[in-house]
Amino acid sequence: MDQLRSTRVWGAINAAAGGVDVPSLRHAVIACSESLSAAGAGLALTRPRGGLEPLLATGADIRELEELQFTLGQGPGVDAKTSGVPESATDLVAADAGRRWSAFAPAAVERGMRGVFAFPVGAGAAGLGVLTVYRQQPGPLHTGQWLDALVFADAVFVLALDHRLGVSVDLHEVIDAAFTARRAEVHQAAGRLAAQQSISVADALARLRAHAYSTGTTLHRVAVAVMAGQLWLESDDGYVALSDLDGTDVEQDGNEQEEEE
Amino acid sequence: MSASDRRVREVFIELTDTLVDDFDIIEYLDRLAVRCGELLGVSACGILLVDHHGVLNLVAASTDQARLVELTQLQNSEGPCLDAFMTGRPVQRADLNDDDPRWPTFTAAAVEAGFSSVQALPMRLRDVVLGAVNLFSDRAGPLDDDTIALGQAMADAATVGIIHQRAVARHEEVTQQLQSALNSRILIEQAKGYLTHSLGVDVDEAFAELRAYARRNNRRLTDVADDVVQGRLMLRPAPESPAD
Repeated sequence: MDQLRSTRVWGAINAAAGGVDVPSLRHAVIACSESLSAAGAGLALTRPRGGLEPLLATGADIRELEELQFTLGQGPGVDAKTSGVPESATDLVAADAGRRWSAFAPAAVERGMRGVFAFPVGAGAAGLGVLTVYRQQPGPLHTGQWLDALVFADAVFVLALDHRLGVSVDLHEVIDAAFTARRAEVHQAAGRLAAQQSISVADALARLRAHAYSTGTTLHRVAVAVMAGQLWLESDDGYVALSDLDGTDVEQDGNEQEEEE
Repeated sequence: MSASDRRVREVFIELTDTLVDDFDIIEYLDRLAVRCGELLGVSACGILLVDHHGVLNLVAASTDQARLVELTQLQNSEGPCLDAFMTGRPVQRADLNDDDPRWPTFTAAAVEAGFSSVQALPMRLRDVVLGAVNLFSDRAGPLDDDTIALGQAMADAATVGIIHQRAVARHEEVTQQLQSALNSRILIEQAKGYLTHSLGVDVDEAFAELRAYARRNNRRLTDVADDVVQGRLMLRPAPESPAD
């Protein structure tokens, strides 16, 4: 279990936040850029009706490139949004990059960029956006950098979910919830809540997290209670617990029972 | 060995035929789990793949019992699949009722589910281990060498199939395919949860409905799952398998 990588990534985000503030999306994007020795990084979020909208960039040049990608509908970020998997250009002056992104590639080279690496921010149907890293030197990311970038994209995902509901909690709680965010029950519960409330899966995930924070419960426990029909989360943060969350029939996080219903 | 050469050949062709437009990773992994059971003469099979956190994720299981035992293994960070993944070597436990002290929680869950022996095989791509296949049997006793060799060949063929690897895949291509498989699994879980509410069924029935719809309409499971959770498709219980 490589929790070291997550710990390191969250540590870098915390350091970018100055160690005092609650880390924000901006801190995560800055930390990602720095730890990948990049020229900069940008975060674009999915628009309600599709398409991407630049939200954050580490500098004016990066913002320009982000806007250019989404205006042209070209570039690794656009491709990552479409495919749902990481997309990259390891050398923008190479012929294949020029063919793939005929307008974007030369524009990025003109601004001194040679490598672009784009990572989807999301989980399943909850695609929130794309994190894009720009480098001045050509060449691939090495294995550890790839994995770091994916963990950064996960961190950006949970921060973006919390950002949606204006939730602001301390780093330890965010990290706790991030570790379990990929568990099957959490995603089942998000799907169930989406159906119950006629909301998007992303909003459902954000609500599950907010509820976990506000009640001091683990995300996994909240998910298990939702799936067992013991917890009904209403809109605007109100909730109805059908049975006490501290009751004995809800499994403690870490126990062996899983997905019984 | 329990399978005819002809059947083995058919399955290997099936496992390597992944470069097609309508390739559906979840269907593929489910089929692999079922084929392992069939060809290797075991009761059940579970498949786990590693994510970028270095954590194994359950991506397919041939039976509900196998799924529960696999989840026990993952939650408690102990079991043969984890050992096979960490070491890159096959791990065997010929009798789960012996006094071997390894994996106490996993063993209890496996015995409770009716299994008597277990074998775990690493899923290897050259020198990298991407996951593991767990084989459960309701009979005690070791699997013979031929069966283990066939199982390992299936696991390796499936790894190549998952990665869509024609020749030498670059690391980022491997990452892309793994991410795609793991993300598809998350999407399926979301759709299962959605259907537990809209159809009023449990998660296993929800998955069965999802799959039945995809097969009836000749569509990819992940596409159907996406339509369901985005509210574009309302599933009704299949007429031939009424929900109860």
